Amino acid sequence: MSAIIEIKNITKEFKVLNRREGLKGSLKDLFSRDYKIVRAVDSISISIEQGEIVGYLGPNGAGKSTTIKMMTGVLEPTSGEILVNGNEPYRSRTRNSKEIGVVFGQRSQLWWALPLIESFRILKDIYRISDDDYDHMISLYKSLVDIDELLHKPVRQMSLGQRTLSDILAAFLHNPKIVFLDEPTIGLDVSMKAKIRTLINALNKEKNTTVILTTHDMGDVDALCRRIVIIDKGKMLYDNDIEHLKGFFGSYRTLKIGIDGDLTAEAEKIQKEFPEFSVSNDDEWISVLVDEEKSTVMDVLGRLQASRKIKDMKLEEISTEEVIKKIYEEGV
Amino acid sequence: MKENNLAFYLKIYFKIISQDIKSKMSYRSDFIISTIGMIFTNIAGFVSFWIIFRNFPSINGWTYNEILFLYGFSLISLTPVQCLFDNNWNLRTHVYSGDFIKYYFRPINMFFYYQSEIFDVKGLGQLAFGIGTLAYSWHKIGLAVTPLSILMVIVFIITASLVMIALQNAAAATCFWLQNSFFILDFVNKFRDYARYPITIFNPVFKFIFTFVMPIAFIAYYPSLVILRPDSIPLLSWLSPLFGIVFFFLSYKFWMFGASKYSGTGS
Repeated sequence: MSAIIEIKNITKEFKVLNRREGLKGSLKDLFSRDYKIVRAVDSISISIEQGEIVGYLGPNGAGKSTTIKMMTGVLEPTSGEILVNGNEPYRSRTRNSKEIGVVFGQRSQLWWALPLIESFRILKDIYRISDDDYDHMISLYKSLVDIDELLHKPVRQMSLGQRTLSDILAAFLHNPKIVFLDEPTIGLDVSMKAKIRTLINALNKEKNTTVILTTHDMGDVDALCRRIVIIDKGKMLYDNDIEHLKGFFGSYRTLKIGIDGDLTAEAEKIQKEFPEFSVSNDDEWISVLVDEEKSTVMDVLGRLQASRKIKDMKLEEISTEEVIKKIYEEGV
Repeated sequence: MKENNLAFYLKIYFKIISQDIKSKMSYRSDFIISTIGMIFTNIAGFVSFWIIFRNFPSINGWTYNEILFLYGFSLISLTPVQCLFDNNWNLRTHVYSGDFIKYYFRPINMFFYYQSEIFDVKGLGQLAFGIGTLAYSWHKIGLAVTPLSILMVIVFIITASLVMIALQNAAAATCFWLQNSFFILDFVNKFRDYARYPITIFNPVFKFIFTFVMPIAFIAYYPSLVILRPDSIPLLSWLSPLFGIVFFFLSYKFWMFGASKYSGTGS
């Protein structure tokens, strides 16, 4: 099988004006053009096959959106080569966009004032979807989600969850080969997140659509992705299957406790008690990153409680940021 | 793969516009209030015009009815920019908020996609008013009604409206580079009021500016001469359709160039 997306050593640089401080500085800025080059994406290579769901992860500002903008034809790479479905996205944006669908986070691409069904009909014309394909897709949607109540509702009257759902349906409507989803579950409640994950999975299975997904939510990654690509500061850190990555975050959980007294001093004491785990603190909490292969969270909590009074506690799954930190520290 | 031709775009355009009008009409009170507002705006514009020209029956050899002709002509030729290209006013907001990115993802011309999103119904009142004024003055001046003169008026109105559209496109597209581009758009828009006066009343400096720098004289004055002064039509009048098309094309290229330089905001 040949790759549907082929990225070779792409780099994207932005020219940013070095701004000086104060009023005098801004006056100087008017006349001198003192630029620095910021490398948002730094020689990344990825090859993606038809039908894959790829989680594209990284902290804010890592270069995820920039990469997606290059794959969708919004930005031109400074150097390197991208082929999406055989097209160079920036050079042949129109041709490329026939075969892709895009959902960009909370920015709806539907016609704001129109009921969803009318947006669908306009898209049918724009993408020249045949009547049969269109009907087939609508009945597929009806079997997957409850869209009857959505179809006749103007987009502007929808809740964020309904809008995201509608945008995803619109992105798949012309049966594109690839769908890009940028933070599709951001700001949604748990049941809506689950609904959207089920929908994406089902559409991927049914249509063999390639899905590129950026997210900060490990739940999305767990539910959807078989392959993970992680970038940070524009550089690729990781590209492998999810099982491999689970070694980094699967067995780790963060135990946060709230106690009285000097938290920094207490954190140091706890660190001495548990030299195998990393302990840190902020103004409210002391965090212990527990490796559950070594001892369970309950065990750690019990030992902590034996010697001090715990007012409050919470348990957090490891975040993308922490995964990346660990990858940095320990390598892949 | 089929190319997107004119018929394809027209079909999509009418679909979007008819849906848009339908949804606007569903907000009944809003629709009625804006219709009343539109009628009053036109009446107020006309009354101020009428007061001035009642007091000066002739200006620089232009009679009241001829000025009225110019006024009607400018109202009609300013309608397309109002009705079809009103989304230019929102371009700045879309660009700064990052929402502009959505226009890159459809397999259709971006400029078309962007402008098709909004149809401003309010402009239609202006059109009706303009046609009424033009017909009235046409009759009063005693111009002949021939198929040729009707055709010429239509052609010259269409090309004249391209000039205003071009000015607005170019002004709106400055937001791809400038932080505060609103004043440019506003500035250009204010000048269109001068389009309804014969350019001969301005001093030579403004005459030059309104012809070559900010070519609003092509919105009504030069094209009207073809009908009003058939004996001595200046070359610029004959050239005005060409100017309209060239200006429009350049402004379109400028707009698209700006869009290709856009990088969006983070998300």
